[in-house]
Amino acid sequence: MKNYDTLLKDLTPRKFGKRGTIWTVFLLLIIIAGLIAYIDQVIKGQVVTNMRDYALWGIYISNFVFFVATSFVGSVTVAILRLTNNSWRTPLVRIAEIITLAAIVMAGVTIMIDMGRPDRLLNLFIHARLQSPITWDVIIVPTSIALSFLLLYFPLLPDLAILKKHFKKTKPTLSKWYGKLALNWEGSKAQKAIQEKSIKIIAIMIIPVGIMLQTIDAWLFSTTYRIGWDSTNMGAYFISGAFLAGVGALITVVYIIRKVRRLENYITDYHFDKMGKFLGLAALTYLYFNINEYLLPIFTAPVEEDIHLNALVSGEYAGLFWFSQIVGLLLPLLIVLFNKGRKPGPMFIAGIMVVIGSWWKRYIIVTPTLLHPFLPIEGVPESWHHYFPSLHEWLITAATLAMALLMITLFVRYLPVIPIQRTADERALLKTDKNSES
Amino acid sequence: MNFISKSQIKLRFVLLASISVFLLSTLVQSLYAQDTEKNSVRLKANYFKIMDSEVYFNIAASSRIDRQNVDVANIDIIITNEIEDEEIELGKVTTNMKGEAKFVLKSLSAMRPDSTGLYTISMSFKGNDAFKRASKSISFRDATIKANLITKDSVNYISATLLDTAKDSILSDQLLNVQVQRLFRNLRIGKEFNSTDENGTILVPIEEGIPGVDGNLTLEVVLNDSDDYGTVKALVKAPLGTPIVDESTFDQRKMWSPRNKTPLFLLIFPNLIIFGMWAFIIYLFINLFRIAKT
Repeated sequence: MKNYDTLLKDLTPRKFGKRGTIWTVFLLLIIIAGLIAYIDQVIKGQVVTNMRDYALWGIYISNFVFFVATSFVGSVTVAILRLTNNSWRTPLVRIAEIITLAAIVMAGVTIMIDMGRPDRLLNLFIHARLQSPITWDVIIVPTSIALSFLLLYFPLLPDLAILKKHFKKTKPTLSKWYGKLALNWEGSKAQKAIQEKSIKIIAIMIIPVGIMLQTIDAWLFSTTYRIGWDSTNMGAYFISGAFLAGVGALITVVYIIRKVRRLENYITDYHFDKMGKFLGLAALTYLYFNINEYLLPIFTAPVEEDIHLNALVSGEYAGLFWFSQIVGLLLPLLIVLFNKGRKPGPMFIAGIMVVIGSWWKRYIIVTPTLLHPFLPIEGVPESWHHYFPSLHEWLITAATLAMALLMITLFVRYLPVIPIQRTADERALLKTDKNSES
Repeated sequence: MNFISKSQIKLRFVLLASISVFLLSTLVQSLYAQDTEKNSVRLKANYFKIMDSEVYFNIAASSRIDRQNVDVANIDIIITNEIEDEEIELGKVTTNMKGEAKFVLKSLSAMRPDSTGLYTISMSFKGNDAFKRASKSISFRDATIKANLITKDSVNYISATLLDTAKDSILSDQLLNVQVQRLFRNLRIGKEFNSTDENGTILVPIEEGIPGVDGNLTLEVVLNDSDDYGTVKALVKAPLGTPIVDESTFDQRKMWSPRNKTPLFLLIFPNLIIFGMWAFIIYLFINLFRIAKT
C-alpha cells in the first residue's frame, strides 16, 4: 500500500511535458482557426455556411446534440454510482464531472454559433414562449451548467485545501489560488456536513435535470411534424444514446489520462472491466431503442417516410448511417461482451468508436430529415437539395470540439483528476500515517 | 476683289453636298429607327354585368416582342361609347403590371345603345414612345336575368329567366350556370348544362347541407361569355345553407398562441419546476458561502 506522500505525488497536478505542450498548442491553433472563421461568419452572415432554406440545421446543431449527449456522463456515472454506493467510481468521477462541465458549456456556446448573430441570444429570453421547446432548452442548458459546476466544485473543496498546503513552499502563487478556491476548507465537522448534504442534493438533482436536458433536446425534434423526428420514442432514444455517448467519452478520456499521468495503480483493469460492463449495458439499451426507431417505421412507413428510410439504409446517407450503427454501436458492444475486450486497450478502441460513431449519429438524425420535407423541394438551386458542411462550418465545429478538449486538458493540468482526499480516506492512508507519526 | 474662283465654288458645293447627305441620312435613320423600335399593342376586352349592380369591362393589353407575348403595363386606355356617328368618352384606365385594367360603371344607364339596342364600346390607346396606337371595339346587347328562390315539395330551387332587355323578349336555349359563391372557386350546383326552356327559364334544385356563414349562401346565375350579351350575373342571397361553426382558437390559451396566451398548465408546472430547481441551486451556492464562513 502506498503512503500518503506517494499518493500526493501521484495525484497532484503536474506541469505539462513536451507532449502536453504540443497538444495544448495544437488545440489552440484549431481554436484560433475556428475563431477567425466565426468572426468571418458574424461579418458576412450565415451565407458562409452551407445551410439554406431546407437544411436550416446543419453540423452546428448535430454538434450541439453531441455535446448535450456527452454531458449526460455526469448523471449516469457520478450521480447514479454515488447514490447506489458503488465504490469503484472513486477514480473516475472527477474525470466524468470535468467532461460533463466542458461538454455542457460548449453545448451552450454552440447554440450561440448556430444563431448567427450572437446578440440574438437575448431574443430567446425577451421573446420566450413557454410553449416552445427552444425556450425549455434555453432554460435547461444554463441550469445544467450551474449544476455541473457545483457537481465538480463541491467534492473538489478538500482536494483544493490539500493542494494549497502541498504547493505552499514550491509554488506559493498557485497555492494562493488553490487557497482562495478552497473556501477556507479545514475539514471541520460543520463543513463536512454542509458539503455532504450539498453533494447529496446535487447527486439527486442532476439525474432528473440530466434526463430533462436529454428529453428536451429530443423534443426539439419530435415536437416538429417532420419525417424521422415525429416519434414518441425520441425522448427515451436520446437518453439511451446519451448514456452510450457519455460512457464512451468517459472511457476514452480516462484511458488517455491514465496513460499520460501514469495512474495505472489507481485506475486499474478492474475499473475498465466495470466501465466495460456499463458500456455494454448502455449499448444494449441504445440498440433496443434504435430497433424501435428504425424497424417499426419500415412496417408502417407512408411514402415520405419510406423515402427517408431508403436514403438512410441504402441511399445518400447509407455510409454514415451504417458507420454510426456498426462502428458506433454494434462493434463496441461486441468488444465489451468479452472479458478480454474489457481490458484497457480494447476498451479505449471501443470508447473512441463510440465517440466518433455518436458524433456522426447526431449528424444522421439532424440533416437527412430536413432534406426530406413533406412538400417536394421546388424552385431552389440544385445545391440546396443536399447538404455538406462548408469550410467555415468545419473550422468552427472543430474549434468547439477543441475548446471542450482544452477545457478538459486545463482541468487535468490544474486539478487532481482523481479525488485525493477520498482516495486517501478509502485507503485509510491519512489515519495510518497519523498513527505512524504519533 | 468680288471675284470668286472656280475652285472655291467647287469646294463650297462639295461641303454643302456632304452636310446635306449627312443630315438626310441621319433623318432617314432616325425615322427608320422609330418605325422599327415601336411595337404593336393588342387589346382584349370583355363586358360584364351584375344585375342591379355595376357594369364593368376587363381590358388586357399585350404585345408580341421577340416572339414572346409580353404584358403591356402602365398605358392609358380611353373608353368611348359609340352611337352611330357620335362618340362619348366614358373614361380612362391605366393597365397594371400584368397589363390588365378594369373599367367600372355604376350601371348600364351610363351608356347609350343605338336604335337597335346594340351597345358599341371602343377602347383605344393613343400610342407612346414604345408602342404604336391601338384600339378595340366590342358590341353587345343588354340581357336581364331574373332569379328568385322557390320551394316545391320541401325542396328548394332557384329559378331564373333570361330576357333580352331592349326587345323585352325571353331568350330560350341559352346556357346558364348556377353556382354558390366561394372564396377561391365557385361551387357549381345542379346539372353541368342548364339550358333555358321555351319560357327562357331554368329551375335548379339547391342541395341541402352547403356550408355558409350563418347559413347564408350567395347563389349566382351566370350567362357566361355570350357572343351577343357578354357575361351577365344575377346574385341571390339564400338563407338555405348549413351554418359554419367558427372553430377559431383566436385569443384562446393554446400551444400555438402568443406568449401572453400561454396555456395555464404550461405556466404553472414548468415554472414550478424551474423555480424549484433554481431555489436548490441558489441554496447550494449559499452553502459554498457557508462553508467559507464556517
